[in-house]
Amino acid sequence: MEPLIEVKNLKKYFKVPAGINHAVDDVSFTINAGETVGVVGESGCGKSTLGRTIIHLQEATDGQVLFHGKNVTHVEGNDLKQLREKMQIIFQDPYSSLNPRFRVERTIYEPLKNSGRFKSKEAIRQEGQRLMDLVGIDERLRSSFPHELDGGRRQRVGIARALALNPEFIVCDEPVSALDVSIQAQVLNLLMDLQDQMGMAYMFVTHDLSVVRHISDNICVMYLGQLVEKAPTRELFRQALHPYTKALFSAIPSTDITKPFQRVQLKSELTSAINPKPGCRFAPRCPYATEACAQPQKLEEIAPNHFVSCCRVKEVN
Amino acid sequence: MSEKNQTFLEVKDLTVIYTANKKIVQAVNHVSFSLKKGETLGLVGETGAGKTTIARSILRILPDPPAKMLGGEITMDGVKISALSEEEMRKIRGGKISMIFQDPMTALNPLICVGDQISEGLMLHSDISRDEARKKAGEMLEMVGIPASRYVEYPFEFSGGMKQRVVIAMALACNPDLLLADEPTTALDVTIQAQVLDLIADLQKKLHTSMILITHDLGVVAQTCDNVATVYAGEIIEYGTKKDLFLNPCHPYTVGLFDSLPSMVGDEERLKPIAGLMPDPTDLPQGCKFNPRCPYATEKCRSGEVPNFEVSDGHFCRCWKYAKEAI
Repeated sequence: MEPLIEVKNLKKYFKVPAGINHAVDDVSFTINAGETVGVVGESGCGKSTLGRTIIHLQEATDGQVLFHGKNVTHVEGNDLKQLREKMQIIFQDPYSSLNPRFRVERTIYEPLKNSGRFKSKEAIRQEGQRLMDLVGIDERLRSSFPHELDGGRRQRVGIARALALNPEFIVCDEPVSALDVSIQAQVLNLLMDLQDQMGMAYMFVTHDLSVVRHISDNICVMYLGQLVEKAPTRELFRQALHPYTKALFSAIPSTDITKPFQRVQLKSELTSAINPKPGCRFAPRCPYATEACAQPQKLEEIAPNHFVSCCRVKEVN
Repeated sequence: MSEKNQTFLEVKDLTVIYTANKKIVQAVNHVSFSLKKGETLGLVGETGAGKTTIARSILRILPDPPAKMLGGEITMDGVKISALSEEEMRKIRGGKISMIFQDPMTALNPLICVGDQISEGLMLHSDISRDEARKKAGEMLEMVGIPASRYVEYPFEFSGGMKQRVVIAMALACNPDLLLADEPTTALDVTIQAQVLDLIADLQKKLHTSMILITHDLGVVAQTCDNVATVYAGEIIEYGTKKDLFLNPCHPYTVGLFDSLPSMVGDEERLKPIAGLMPDPTDLPQGCKFNPRCPYATEKCRSGEVPNFEVSDGHFCRCWKYAKEAI
């Protein structure tokens, strides 16, 4: 089966005063139709940049994004407009991603109007109402302004807007990290139900590992712009192979108080991806690092579908 | 360990309101709890439950207006701090009681180098010279894992995790007896969070500090606290040891909180969120504050205050479900 999205050696560099920030560096993976790929990593590892570059909110520096096998990395004009209908994004912060001067209804009618798919105002209104029913925005809230809604409801507006034109692919950029746990569960359930009904693919960007475990089919782990491990969810949680993934998993505070906590202690903290040296970027913090880690690392298939970018993976495990 | 059994901090019947747009927000309603020496109490609950207001009213740093402490008595180490004059209170703040604020990005003064921000408190609270204070501040930085040579650097030169550690060093500089940690790790990544939690635990052991840890992350609570209180709409609705709450949560809200977390072990298909939303604090429901969202709510829950029932020794729950056990 042809994948819905194929990302090939994607790079996104930013010029900053201190040099060049390799925010996304040589990342490759695929997303199949109807599937959810989780992207995890700590803040500043480039996971949001990756999402935004794939859907063309930012121009890629190098590499390719294929959508249905067609190269869409540098599309422009009408092609881009059409692509936007197919690829959407739900933003992290429901407080700043809605226009504060638009009523809820208008925010949702806007993409419908712009698409030109609907011939009359009545048709737009009907479709808009259907969408709001779908994501569970109460009738009485539809003419409110965003500031009158709480985070969970605002995020529902963001979801309805992303769904408006029946996209095939949605980047969910930390859609629940600004929400309280009980509301977070409501929104996660909604996203999963919508996927069951409409069959779109998600790329789910988050730093919350329990959320990503719950919602994803496959997971990519990023560290400072690079993909360090990718595997099916079950496989990754059964056996994380990269030293960073291991440390990350062990650092999650578990609510199971019957087991003692055993953490892999990491030295120092995240360095930056500005002017990185070749070789493994995790090496300065890695408890297993040797001289060999200064060489560039390649993603290798260690187990079926389980890719790891670490030259010492065999010795470590 | 023997002195551990002494009650160190006692909060009785604390009530705080905010006035906003002529409406009254009942932020904290009749909250009582106590804390022993060296013990850690976790306050868990959702945004707006009143956790931070509780901590701030212990330190008496709530802005008045809009906040007003209507009632309550706070006693620490035999001293009734709720009745102290502002001048006496200033001697306690940052000395005997100190607070780690939620957001390390805004808790530091951007125009003063981090070392001086630490030594300022030292000079105020202990009678030492500037040079001694500087030396001690440098030691505090080393203790939280920042080289003392970075004393003269400004907050913008540090990463989020390091800034939070500076805030911790500042809070611990005067060896406080009570540490109020308001979401100390929420703004941090998990690997850094792990480092910061370990650091606080180490220092707490060394200095025998009591701590109130405010968080909405149940995992963090499981790792650090001895006792846990669930806060909902300004009330403590369940209180018990960590074991009580994690192995045998009683209040439907506490149960709901645990159920809505995606599990790291099981294989659940759907999460079980708590229905509805937190009540509007300007218009709290009658009776049990949780009754509009509670699957077990009955007529009884909708009228009158719910008493605190003792489910088992030291495990309290404000829910009529446990009435029988109490009587």
